[in-house]
Amino acid sequence: MRFLVLVLAVFTLAGCGVNAIPTYEEQARAAWGQVENQYQRRADLIPNLVETVKGYAAHEKEVLEAVVEARAKATQMQLPADILTNPEAFERFQQVQGQITGALARLLAVVENYPDLKANQNFLALQSQLEGTENRVSVARRDYIEAVRLYNTELKTIPGVIWKSVLYSDRQPMQQFSASEGAKEVPKVNFGK
Amino acid sequence: MRMMAAQRGQPANLASWRHGALSRLLAALLALIAFAAAVPAVAAPVFPPLTGRIVDGADLLGPDIEAALTARLSALEDKTGDQLVIVTLPSLQGETIEEFGVALGRHWAIGEKDKNNGVLLIVAPNERKVRIEVGYGLEGVLTDALTRVIIETSILPHFRAGDMAAGVAEGAKDIVAVLSGAGEEVAQRMVAPPSASDDVFDTIFPILIFIMIVIVIVIIIRNGGTGSGSGGWSSSSSSGSSWGSSSGSSGGFSGGGGSFGGGGSSGSW
Repeated sequence: MRFLVLVLAVFTLAGCGVNAIPTYEEQARAAWGQVENQYQRRADLIPNLVETVKGYAAHEKEVLEAVVEARAKATQMQLPADILTNPEAFERFQQVQGQITGALARLLAVVENYPDLKANQNFLALQSQLEGTENRVSVARRDYIEAVRLYNTELKTIPGVIWKSVLYSDRQPMQQFSASEGAKEVPKVNFGK
Repeated sequence: MRMMAAQRGQPANLASWRHGALSRLLAALLALIAFAAAVPAVAAPVFPPLTGRIVDGADLLGPDIEAALTARLSALEDKTGDQLVIVTLPSLQGETIEEFGVALGRHWAIGEKDKNNGVLLIVAPNERKVRIEVGYGLEGVLTDALTRVIIETSILPHFRAGDMAAGVAEGAKDIVAVLSGAGEEVAQRMVAPPSASDDVFDTIFPILIFIMIVIVIVIIIRNGGTGSGSGGWSSSSSSGSSWGSSSGSSGGFSGGGGSFGGGGSSGSW
């Protein structure tokens, strides 16, 4: 009898949002997977890019080394399993990726001084891949921000907040990207120059 | 169970309270619904309706070119299943063309749902921006580098010369070539100087379009015997595509549920 009530309860409750928290959680995790994926893709492009630039601008050592170093830091970083609910780890991930973004921006700015390099077909292909990947990163970040917004809102509003207290008390709100790094990713024209 | 108890708990003490609480709850619910409905309208830009394979909102293409291109695009879909949609926009509504492109592609759901094989060629003449937006599933074929080559060597030279229609047509032709598996020629242009190859295409392109039209007409005539044969471009596209449930007013063409992830590249002139 009790079992029957339980089964009935599960089926009737499914309509009133009992599954919303795990559903949104999975969506947010999937969106995060895409963010990591695209950052990885960017990191994979860097060795080739650095080699190509070296062929034309070997004495821009500082800028090149900064890119290589930033990439090494990112690939060495161990992502803890709870990164999405761990503010320090999340912040560190953002910082590390932000350093790559900054180093790459400086590299591409330096490249402007080398017309031969800018005309190199290999470089052009890499540059378009890099731009495309930066764009994919920002799409993935936007999707993640939206997914987390839904998930966090569900945790804090009725009926989610009730379900959280009954069934999902271990669920924590997920971390959001701060706007500053997103703003850095878009290279702005400097009118002061 | 606990939820119902929690909701009922207090107002059950007094009948008048219960009434007040109920109407307040109702008002809150109504406000919530109104808010939920209003939010996407504020956050997202207004997208043009998907009226066909070519949505010429900025009015850059003449009817002849539009008909020829539509035939080309529908032939592509029949052959490979890939959906290419050309859209010209009078305004980007304050967004970047990259943001707008992904959002529009997802909104229209261009491409098949399980393949994500849609492509958008977006032109915003007032912002002087052009973009090839590539669906997830085609990022390996129509790579960022290839889209860049197409934009730089086929589209922008015409745009800079003021011939918008020719730029769109050339760009569409290249995208179709790459998606049909004949991308080597486009890839080779990465090495070849762009201006040399350009002139050749100016002469070949009308011939190709003509051949294309002839082929499509032949196909229509052949199929006419068995089908109801209502004729025209829209019938060939709707009979050839497997999208099924279209939204009705869009002339037989609709997206198949494909999604986009920001692949492709942009250019400006």
